[in-house]
Amino acid sequence: MTNTLNIHLPKATTEPRWVRYLLISFTLIFLTLFLLLPLIAIFVQALQEGLTAYWTALVEPDAVAAIKLTLLTAIIAVPLNLVFGIAAAWAIAKFDFKGKSILITLIDLPFAVSPVIAGFIFVLLFGLHGVIGPWLNAQGIKIIFAVPGIILATIFVTFPFVARELIPLLQAQGNEEEEAALVLGANGWQTFWYITLPNMKWGLLYGVILCNARAMGEFGAVSVVSGHIRGLTNTMPLHVEILYNEYNFVAAFAVASLLAVLALVTLVLKTLVEWRVHQQMQGQT
Amino acid sequence: MGIEIRQITKTFHQFTALKEVSLTIPDGQLVALLGPSGCGKTTLLRIVAGLEVANSGSILFHGEDATFQQVRERRVGFVFQHYALFRHLTVFENIAFGLRVRPRPQRPSKEIIKSKVNELLKLIQMQELADRYPRQLSGGQRQRVALARALAVEPKVLLLDEPFGALDTKVRKELRRWLRRLHETMHITSLFVTHDQEEAMEVADLVVVMNEGRVEQVGTPDDIYENPASPFVYQFIGHVNLFHGRLQTGNVRIGELDITLDSHTEVHQAPVVAYVRPHELEISRESESTSIAVTVISIHLLGPMVHLELLPQNSTEVLEAELTKEYYRQLRLQKGDKVFVKPRKMRLFMGGK
Repeated sequence: MTNTLNIHLPKATTEPRWVRYLLISFTLIFLTLFLLLPLIAIFVQALQEGLTAYWTALVEPDAVAAIKLTLLTAIIAVPLNLVFGIAAAWAIAKFDFKGKSILITLIDLPFAVSPVIAGFIFVLLFGLHGVIGPWLNAQGIKIIFAVPGIILATIFVTFPFVARELIPLLQAQGNEEEEAALVLGANGWQTFWYITLPNMKWGLLYGVILCNARAMGEFGAVSVVSGHIRGLTNTMPLHVEILYNEYNFVAAFAVASLLAVLALVTLVLKTLVEWRVHQQMQGQT
Repeated sequence: MGIEIRQITKTFHQFTALKEVSLTIPDGQLVALLGPSGCGKTTLLRIVAGLEVANSGSILFHGEDATFQQVRERRVGFVFQHYALFRHLTVFENIAFGLRVRPRPQRPSKEIIKSKVNELLKLIQMQELADRYPRQLSGGQRQRVALARALAVEPKVLLLDEPFGALDTKVRKELRRWLRRLHETMHITSLFVTHDQEEAMEVADLVVVMNEGRVEQVGTPDDIYENPASPFVYQFIGHVNLFHGRLQTGNVRIGELDITLDSHTEVHQAPVVAYVRPHELEISRESESTSIAVTVISIHLLGPMVHLELLPQNSTEVLEAELTKEYYRQLRLQKGDKVFVKPRKMRLFMGGK
């Protein structure tokens, strides 16, 4: 008797049906308006004049240069931040030292500072009227309005991603496994290579994906230090802006669509890796 | 000589975990480090392993000074409280790890590693589970893998940190007996940490009772139980009733009780505490000159034993007594009954609160 009754009774924490549907549809409408529609609009605009126009916009020399520069920036910035991220996360999660909280705050600094300000910091340091800019100029080294400045700004903006991802993972894992490896006779390098690295590989990959997405998509900081020299110091986001300002919508949206594809690929990878990280965290106990 | 611990002191910031601890672990014996949490037993074990560095003192393995040896040079087997199995490696790979990371000249061939690991898998009765990952194993299985992994490197000394702490009672009992049998066949000098006195008593050849960074007593399980060296050991090993009294020229007065001692005749007026185990309290219906009148306030039947809580007259301190069910039936005890108790045996310690 009581069993049959229970089936029809809602759970204590479940809202009435209309509340649930209202919330779900509100979220869906919001997502469609602000995320899905713009994304579709990019592709519609890009393909407005057909595939040929789309393709021409992408293989045009300035666009190719922008794509190449973006890839170069990511290829340099991501591995550097990977090494930095592992080192910082290792130090913070496995050792106790003075100034640890200051270090954590410093790692977060690029998240807290507006990217434009980050760009200006480099201009103030390396610009012609900056602190060490005149000296560098005398040596014939150009950083601002050149590729090195773009790479520096990108590294600055993206350096928290890997470290931020690894710190909680390493802290949760503790160092018992490393201790076990040492007792069993492994040296420091073997312990890192066979134990620590495999244990953090999914978290690391996740951080690298996010870091890469940001490195390729960064606009503010790069815009300040780039100087917008076509074919030389324009990354993809900057190239999109220039084309857009010239009312060359098809070309602008064509390049933008590449960035959008990158974003979608990142999302898919992120979801996959997130799922693995979750599994890994569960496998701990 | 197995392990020799000489004058080890260890502090963490302001906290002193170990105060000049000296201890000798005889060769081939299974020794328990027993004490409440925070007594320094795990720290001592980690210092022996080389995972912590002592502030002063030295450690000798088989007569050889190991104080400044690196962890990996000490050739100890260490079993962690939470097993610390390599989660991304299979059972087989976990056990093989210690052999695989050896420097190339000492590294056994693949075939030898394989046969060695299989031998250990047989020892822990887990041949079928060689390809499982740690997360697919039960607690008891993980513990056995951890042990096999430690044994694979043929350690001179085996160290175990609360090896059965995280397991349920039944698995725990099985593993305890298994460890005992294993030790009887292998005879590796072993040191294990536990806070469970029953575990220490059942498994160990020798028990080291620790408290607040010091060794309170070292002895065989029977010795520790029958002749506790200090009030702490008395209270830590098993239940105990305390009677506060005064010692006066060889005479102890506890409430109505008067006991004449052969010793301590030179002491005038000193507080003493008498320790009596629950099963050392004799209960009877009739009063005697040396018995205390009590009221039965609760009766718990625990299998073959009966546990009583008794409230003495003129006192608020509840006494515990233990008797067999047979005797309990004979006495026909009821809650609220007035009976008399007499300590069959007691041990006095000077001082007390």
